[in-house]
Amino acid sequence: MDISRSTMDIAAACATAAVGAVVCYGATLNGTAWGSSGPEPGYFPFYVGCLIILGSAGTVVQTLLRRAGGRQEHGAEGEAFLDGERLRTVVAFFLPIVAMAAISAWLGLYIGMGLYIFYALRVAAGFRTLPSLVSALAVVAVNFVIFEKLFMVPLLKGPVLEAFGIY
Amino acid sequence: MGNFGQLMDGFAVALTTHHLMIMVMGVLLGLVVGVLPGLGAPNGVSLLLPLTFTMDPISAIILLTSMYWGALFGGSTTSILFNIPGEPSSVATTFDGYPLAKQGQAARALTLAFTSAGIGALTGVLVITLLSSWVANFALRFGAAEYFAVYFMAFASFIGMSGGSPFKTLVSMMLGFAAATVGIDTISGESRLTFELDELIGGISFLIAVIGLFGLGELLLTMEEGLKFEGVKARLDIRVIARAVAEVPRYWATLIRSALIGCWMGITPGGPTAASFMSYALGRRFSRRGRFFGKGEPEGIVAPETADHSAGSCALLPMLALGIPGSATAAVMMGGLMIWGLSPGPMLFSTRPDFVWGLIASMYMGNVIAVVLVLATVPLFAFILRAPFTVVGPLITVVCVIGAYTVANHMFDVWLALGFGIVGYVFKKLDYPLAPFVLAMVLGDKAEDAFRQAMLTSDGSPAIFFSNGLVATMMGLGLLLLSLPVLSLLLKGGRAAPKNDAAATPEGRSA
Amino acid sequence: MPKHALTALALCLGLAAPGVAFAEWKPNRPVEFVAAAGPGGGTDTFARVVQSALSKNELLTTPIIVSNKAGGSGAETFIYAKSNKGDPYKLYFGTQDAYVLPLANKLSYGLKDLTPIAAMVFDPFILWVNPKTSGIEDVKGFIAKAKEAPGQLKLGGAKAKEADETLMTLIEHATGTDLTYIPYKSGSEAAIQVAGGHITANVNNPSESVEQWKAGVQKPLCVFESERLADTTVIADGQSWHDIPTCKEAGIDVDSFAQPRTIWGAADLPPEALAYYTDLFTKAAAAPEFKSYQERGAQIPRLLTGDAFKDFIKKHEASYAEIYKRNGWLRAEQ
Repeated sequence: MDISRSTMDIAAACATAAVGAVVCYGATLNGTAWGSSGPEPGYFPFYVGCLIILGSAGTVVQTLLRRAGGRQEHGAEGEAFLDGERLRTVVAFFLPIVAMAAISAWLGLYIGMGLYIFYALRVAAGFRTLPSLVSALAVVAVNFVIFEKLFMVPLLKGPVLEAFGIY
Repeated sequence: MGNFGQLMDGFAVALTTHHLMIMVMGVLLGLVVGVLPGLGAPNGVSLLLPLTFTMDPISAIILLTSMYWGALFGGSTTSILFNIPGEPSSVATTFDGYPLAKQGQAARALTLAFTSAGIGALTGVLVITLLSSWVANFALRFGAAEYFAVYFMAFASFIGMSGGSPFKTLVSMMLGFAAATVGIDTISGESRLTFELDELIGGISFLIAVIGLFGLGELLLTMEEGLKFEGVKARLDIRVIARAVAEVPRYWATLIRSALIGCWMGITPGGPTAASFMSYALGRRFSRRGRFFGKGEPEGIVAPETADHSAGSCALLPMLALGIPGSATAAVMMGGLMIWGLSPGPMLFSTRPDFVWGLIASMYMGNVIAVVLVLATVPLFAFILRAPFTVVGPLITVVCVIGAYTVANHMFDVWLALGFGIVGYVFKKLDYPLAPFVLAMVLGDKAEDAFRQAMLTSDGSPAIFFSNGLVATMMGLGLLLLSLPVLSLLLKGGRAAPKNDAAATPEGRSA
Repeated sequence: MPKHALTALALCLGLAAPGVAFAEWKPNRPVEFVAAAGPGGGTDTFARVVQSALSKNELLTTPIIVSNKAGGSGAETFIYAKSNKGDPYKLYFGTQDAYVLPLANKLSYGLKDLTPIAAMVFDPFILWVNPKTSGIEDVKGFIAKAKEAPGQLKLGGAKAKEADETLMTLIEHATGTDLTYIPYKSGSEAAIQVAGGHITANVNNPSESVEQWKAGVQKPLCVFESERLADTTVIADGQSWHDIPTCKEAGIDVDSFAQPRTIWGAADLPPEALAYYTDLFTKAAAAPEFKSYQERGAQIPRLLTGDAFKDFIKKHEASYAEIYKRNGWLRAEQ
């Protein structure tokens, strides 16, 4: 389950090229000509999109050339971008963040962050349940005081807190 | 000498116990606001604004500007400790500040940043004091073409600076331009690249991109590298701070260069963010230690910090003299001025000299207080780094997520930041430079607007960019900066080329 | 949906007898003022002045939070309103943009997503030049200069296809001239460009140029109103706002083109809340803080609430739609 660096280089270049293509397409909706009094709104974005595609293509060619050259020199596929274990570590760190965002969108940021901190401390860092719970509550409380009380920046509350009369 | 006498009167106004207390309070609040991304200086100032309705204008503006200084310093703190720029203008500080902190020298990095920032700010105030009457007239000479020339210079100083693959640099910079384009176009009033999504009509916030690319991206990288967070070794030693303060004067050349760039960009419409980038780029090119930039080089911290703060101070002058705010924070303060019954503009200096000079005097005091207070917080921040990453990591994550939300109170922004986080992680691993992306995103739409306004003014003739001495000089300087890498390559001949090539790949990896 | 009709009926009743027909409603938590402009912009200042008038006079005792949603020329604010249907703790501050923006752009909100509360004051528009760099001293000189070289006279304003550019097309139409419009981020920015001699003229609200006038780098030519402004305090060159001729008497046949400063609630705002806010802003308009804001900006004190405001919106929107149609700015479907 190893991903080589050159594979990743090419994958990333394809992704940026796709973004470039989207930018080019979006720009054509605004008109891309150079009018009598300067460029139309889509002029710069269109060429920006083109340059993104061009640069991505350059990266692909460069990577392929290096891979061909590397094979001759080392007989190997070059260094690894990620191996299975590292990938697992990163995903194990990132997925809970996605979960926090999803829960926050549904139940509000305070519940989202509380659950996330509890999970991170209890499961990921291996603390005991009580300290993890207390820390999670403390984080929520500190954020609540800073944002709602001190700076009066209302964060997303969600239906649960509103039901408890916390706006 | 007229200015000097007025400044003394100003000090008499600013140096009351009441005002000193306000300064301390403002700086402390600013620090808190600056440290939290998403709660930037503009938020802080607008939140304090209601409090000032019942104050007299001088106390009110002292409170707001002190908060601004505090926020500027706070923004550098998170840049250095966590690679999360609390303020747009402190992005350039991450380039060397964070590597230095990672090497276990967080206290030194913070102290260097704060001290040089203080020097920069004081230089800026000095320039305001000496040149206030001249600056207002000078700023009036800036039309659309001149605006564009300023941005052009900032871009030109950056091109050819980053090592590594030119294709990747190109892609990174162009992606930045594309991101800056999203939203409604100033010139035509049409929406661009929004694809009829409500969420995109307001554009992509720069802060969202930075929180994702730098903050979350770096967290993922640290996680993957097996939680090696070298800050753990950070020693709490007061002597480190003293030694770092004493170290700063050694970088006098960088200090002077950066302060000049900062003042220039503050007076002209470039602003602090462009100033810090330009100063970093030129430092890298002209400093003897330039090739160590990006790996935790002290001069790489001094250069952007000095320029950032001198520009931040100088930018207040166009605000007072012309009523054109140089930054979002200045815009909020200007709103304040109007509510307090003062009108920023050319006449403010003659109708309310007590206000203007009281403010300028408070800028001296406020910055000195800010440096002292912020240096006192260094041990505290260094202490945070000693906590294990399994604890600090999730906390930083929460700060990033809340930060992304508070930028505009949109959940969509949180998702966007997560997306940018993955992009930042992949790009960093593949040696895509992020600095060109950030620079293009900050200045891209401004440069485009200025360019198209200039073309409208001249009926489509590019001659407007060389139509007077001022704009021609700036464009000329920009072109010179642009051609520097090519020139130096030509001068060095074939000798340098293979060496560069060999150095590019392994160096970039470690950065 | 009968419930809807009931609400509408209730709304009308609420307007007819504010504060009487319903049980007293009062906000018991922070109220958010969303300004459809960036910090420092005209609408932002408006929202903050109202905030200061309310809190200083203790008309509203719960905290007031001002936030900015300037994206999409302010459309972001009204889209946000759409997603907060019926929420009485969020009020939206804007200008005519609330109903004019959807005319030209494809946006996901419409007037039906908003409940009009009040237009608190009107900002007049003035035509400015820099007399020193342009050699123009009055409206006649302006028209002569414009006719001399069609398309050469550059007129600046805030943003594209909004009030400022609309007004320029009205000037063109009325005088038979061809001007070139140059959009800037804000009205004050355009004013500075005129003061610096980079462009010839600009149109904006009095407050955005008054300091340049005092400094002698800008001069008002005429005001786009049917009557002269009331304020007779001398400001510069021995002139007051009242001494500026109306554009009609000076030779540009454009009638009143004032910009309302408006306050909105989301759709389905509870009638008792609407009644409360109508009353609240009527009081705020009389507060000294608001009065001095009016004076500084040489604004026209005209408070519209309830049906009067609704009628005004209908007429104003129609007149904009007509101008937009003539300019070819209407969005495709219409």
